[in-house]
Amino acid sequence: MAESEKQSVSRKTMEIVTALLTAGAGLAICFGSWRSGIGWAETGPEAGYFPFYVGVLIILGSLVTLLRTMFFYRHEGEIFLDIEKARPVLGFFLPLVAFTVVSLLLGLYVGTALYICGAMMWQGGYRWWISALAALAVTGLFYLIFEIGFQVPLLKGPIEGWLGIY
Amino acid sequence: MGNFGYLMDGFATVITAHHLMIMMIGVMLGILVGVLPGLGAPNGVSLLLPLTFTMDPISAIILLSCMYWGALFGGSTTSILFNIPGEPSSVATTFDGYPMAKNGQATRALTLAFMSAGIGALAGVVMITLLSGWVARFALQFSSPEFFAVYFLAFASFIGMSANAPAKTLVTMMLGFAFATVGMDTISGGLRLTFGIPDLIKGISFLVAVMGLFGIGELLLTTEEGLRFNGIKARVRPIDVLKTLKEMPRYGWSILRSTLIGIWMGITPAGPTAASFMSYGLARRFAKDKSQFGKGDPRGIVSPETADHSAGTSALLPMLALGVPGSATAAVMMGGLMIWGLTPGPMLFIDRPDFVWGLIASMYLGNVVAVLLVLTTVPLYASILRVPFSIVGPVIVAIIFSGAYQVASSTFDMWLVLGFGILGYLFKKLDYPIAPLVLAMVLGDKAEDAFRQSMLMSNGSLTIFWSNPLVSTIMALGVLMLLWPLIAKAAGLRRPRRPATGHPAKV
Repeated sequence: MAESEKQSVSRKTMEIVTALLTAGAGLAICFGSWRSGIGWAETGPEAGYFPFYVGVLIILGSLVTLLRTMFFYRHEGEIFLDIEKARPVLGFFLPLVAFTVVSLLLGLYVGTALYICGAMMWQGGYRWWISALAALAVTGLFYLIFEIGFQVPLLKGPIEGWLGIY
Repeated sequence: MGNFGYLMDGFATVITAHHLMIMMIGVMLGILVGVLPGLGAPNGVSLLLPLTFTMDPISAIILLSCMYWGALFGGSTTSILFNIPGEPSSVATTFDGYPMAKNGQATRALTLAFMSAGIGALAGVVMITLLSGWVARFALQFSSPEFFAVYFLAFASFIGMSANAPAKTLVTMMLGFAFATVGMDTISGGLRLTFGIPDLIKGISFLVAVMGLFGIGELLLTTEEGLRFNGIKARVRPIDVLKTLKEMPRYGWSILRSTLIGIWMGITPAGPTAASFMSYGLARRFAKDKSQFGKGDPRGIVSPETADHSAGTSALLPMLALGVPGSATAAVMMGGLMIWGLTPGPMLFIDRPDFVWGLIASMYLGNVVAVLLVLTTVPLYASILRVPFSIVGPVIVAIIFSGAYQVASSTFDMWLVLGFGILGYLFKKLDYPIAPLVLAMVLGDKAEDAFRQSMLMSNGSLTIFWSNPLVSTIMALGVLMLLWPLIAKAAGLRRPRRPATGHPAKV
């Protein structure tokens, strides 16, 4: 089992990392509230009064989780994620990030079409023209439902401008 | 019996061709999101909400609530045919539903599930019809301290009753409150917790959080588990349906017990997931012959389904009458009401009786429509699940991102969805509950206002929360809930937190 452990992240590590992260968020919230004032003004409690205590409770909760994980706890030996499982997750997540970036640059319609086409070709192993057709069909459906059906516009980029769609 | 008259007016509002069509669309969309992985009831309602901003509130709430019913039914369908719970609350249905379908009795399993679900839901609506007016009238005596105490009770019972570690529940809940406070402070007008980022001035929308936490997070989890759909071919034959209907009365006792469990768990914020597990457990405990459980015992389908749906509908009672939603989906709908300019709570019954009773009437009809539709369209939805994940996954992602953008036409929200997605994945893998976070995000402003107004009334003294019998009772109940894990442990009552094997409930 020693070999497999090298290529995996243990649950205990992730528990500790997450507890530290939430504790950090708690600290940031306390600090942010403190800057907006956590005391009592003429008009009553100041803006940071309530969120400050929320931050304090987050820190407390995180500390409890941290201590329980480190000193008494049962997640010994549990694996959070190993390389076998990390691969499909990353294979799904990285295109997701690419989709976000492309959509911000070229608009959501073009982003959607490219993303669905790409995901079908690389993850599904479909031929390019099947993927392209499916991508166009989905994008067209989005246009019909959102833009025409509900009249809620989606983000558009330069390409729709050239085509004169809006 | 004023409620009855109001209810008839409600039916008059709802029975129009337009509203019936909206109902059917809502149910169909709901079954779809219930069936698809990564899209559940809270997520589906969040995605649909921005599209309803231009509709009138009654049509909009009918659409959203019918989507909720549809999603509950869709979740049971995949549990039975694919052994994959489409919703956390239908996990318990897989225990006996899938084995029965595997034995060649798919129609029987589906009919049992849908009929008992329908009965459970209707029982929940009857309860709402009878009690809501009374609860709302009672709540009219409430002022700020009482409202804060009710919120406190709701959140304390989350911590005390949750199957997750109390410290983790506390952390996600408080993170929800913190997200709710980001942006402009409604009372002083000052900016809070924006850390100099201009995009945060408008605040963080709970819709974006739900889409990321439930949607992207769930999809990441799905890819990790590597979904294989070993579905069972389902052909719903009318004769089998009728045969199953004839055996329904035999399970009357199970249905009654499960309805009561469901209603109780729905009104208190324990929610449908806990209700279905508890109901399954009790059905097993009270059964004389336990040997068939896990192999396709009809009681093992009827009990969790009835409780799931009666809890799902009952969750709307505290939302409407008190402004405290009983489930994550109810929380999202309540956020919707506030966006439409309606304030859930006792005043809604006085200001907009047409809206409240229209909604309640639509719950009767919507559930009947849902049972009929789901029975006739099951094969269609089952075939959707056979489409490979490499197509369905990206389409769902694109829908979620489009939805996130539509909330406020902001590109920053698309990054937020991504961030919440990672957070959701992490939280689910480490057993942090997500429902309290959503509830806290929706209720954050109201809870804070109630707290600050109470503080103003008392000049900053916390004793106001113990100043009269009413508020003291509610606060005492809250403290009891909060300390419940300790009390139960001391009394040796507490069950082991989760079964060693089997499906963990992901809420």
